[in-house]
Amino acid sequence: MVRWLNLLKANLRKEYIELKRYMPNTIAMVITFFCIFLGMFAGIQLVGDPGSQDVNTQYVIVNYIFWFLAMMVMNSIGWEITNEAMRGTLEQLCMTPMGLWKVMITRLISTTAIYFFIIVGLLYVSMAVTGQWLNIDVIAILPILLLTLISMFGAGFMIAGISIILKQVQAFLQILQFILAGLTFVPLTVAPALAFLPFVKGVDLVRNIMIQGVTLSEITMGDFFILGFNAVFYFVIGLGFFLVCERIAMRKGLLAHY
Amino acid sequence: MEAIVEVRNIKKTYKKRKSKTYVQAVNDVSFTVNRGEILGLLGPNGAGKTTTIKMICGLLEQDSGTITINGVNNREKRLDALNNISAVLEGNRNLYWRLTVRENLEYFAGNRGRSRKEVAGRIEELLEQFHLKSKENELVNRLSRGMQQKLAIAVAMLADSEVILLDEPTLGIDVETGYEVRELLRDIVKNDQRTIIISSHDMDVIQDLCERTVIISDGKIITDDRIENLMRLFEVRSYLIRLEGSLSEKQQQLLKQKFPHHQYTEDLAQATLDVDLAKSEEIYELFDILKMEETPVDSIDRKTVNFEQIFMKIVKEAKNGALAQSS
Repeated sequence: MVRWLNLLKANLRKEYIELKRYMPNTIAMVITFFCIFLGMFAGIQLVGDPGSQDVNTQYVIVNYIFWFLAMMVMNSIGWEITNEAMRGTLEQLCMTPMGLWKVMITRLISTTAIYFFIIVGLLYVSMAVTGQWLNIDVIAILPILLLTLISMFGAGFMIAGISIILKQVQAFLQILQFILAGLTFVPLTVAPALAFLPFVKGVDLVRNIMIQGVTLSEITMGDFFILGFNAVFYFVIGLGFFLVCERIAMRKGLLAHY
Repeated sequence: MEAIVEVRNIKKTYKKRKSKTYVQAVNDVSFTVNRGEILGLLGPNGAGKTTTIKMICGLLEQDSGTITINGVNNREKRLDALNNISAVLEGNRNLYWRLTVRENLEYFAGNRGRSRKEVAGRIEELLEQFHLKSKENELVNRLSRGMQQKLAIAVAMLADSEVILLDEPTLGIDVETGYEVRELLRDIVKNDQRTIIISSHDMDVIQDLCERTVIISDGKIITDDRIENLMRLFEVRSYLIRLEGSLSEKQQQLLKQKFPHHQYTEDLAQATLDVDLAKSEEIYELFDILKMEETPVDSIDRKTVNFEQIFMKIVKEAKNGALAQSS
């Protein structure tokens, strides 16, 4: 357990140092994201139905915040693997007696923890700019968010696995950001079956809390069952898939020389 | 001496990209490395050295055969085996260029589950030992190639593993830093009691540091011997003969048949014959050729050969042998 903690601390520190040291890059990324949000907000204001403008804006705030989170958790792990393989450090990570998957999970936790603060900041700035103040019920949001993050980590592992064995994964990662956008923006009432995808149910429940003011006690056991099932299912499948990909990479010699 | 690394009959085949053909990168390679030994792994480009090193590191899975590190099978218990091994595979590319020297050391220690506090003393020692103390807060991308290489070795040292693998440790660094790296490696083996496997094209490094060398060509081991034995062997076999007269056409024909790799030069003053003997008894056949025309011999000297020439000869002989076998 102590070794786990030391591994987590090392990766958390690395992510923080790089983020701080290359602050202009981080700021540019956040500004880009915020500009995308402003574009969506302007769209609602200019061409949206005036009767539902407020609700639509609230939907966009929650959806785009979750899109940013999904991008940071799921997409960035793919880019990170690709970069590490190109730089030559992936082989060093594979040589840790802790196991590569443990390094990856601590990376996922570290990235999420660090970007969480940026996301909260973005949320409040978005609310202030639009004048739409959402219901931030931490007690209700936190358990849903945690279960949703576990399923996101599982999906992140799948993307990491694909990134290890496929050298032309960059094109897929570009497309993935739009797939993630689609999944965060689609309401479950339109496609209920999507509830069993990694984070769609979680986003839907958080939307209900933040926009409609639903409390924790109003969320059904069935909803929590789906969230819990998704968390366990995607994490186990994702980790298993990652380990298989790692094995394939070791058999075919794909851990370096992109 | 006790073997710490045992490589037994390993084979590795790769599928060629965009083709249905396969390449046998490593073919039935076996050797052992003793505790506290520095072994040189040599071979021409594409011989299978890096593939062998990566299989020892557990980064590449062999098709068949076994590798044990300190008694642990690296396929069955890969992570346990990795406790005993660290490596510098791509020199400066094994580092995070956006982190400082100290941050790199701390990060890689953390990746092995060790805290900054736990390794603080060891990091100080390594910074001193590798003359990196003054650069500890410098970003890696601002260091010279030689310093980056030294840091990569220091990172491998920090793992405190018994076996260290170094792939081309002096590649791309200047002569002065190359000497410094050599001194460091010598110091590591002498004072830290580590076992080192070096793969290098730099024959001076191998000759200077290694006790024993394994030479691989076309995926097979062609020599596994102590360097001093190879030097002695080739010293005995290489002769430079100065002649007072020139050789006849018939003698030259016979020399071509018996010693196909000899070199014969003649000028107005003297003729010289540069010949390598496969066996020491062949010297009698050489004398027979000279005697048939009673060619006067001025001097016979054993030729001084360096390790690079020996390496070239061993690889050439192995390739010729393989060609003769296939034809």
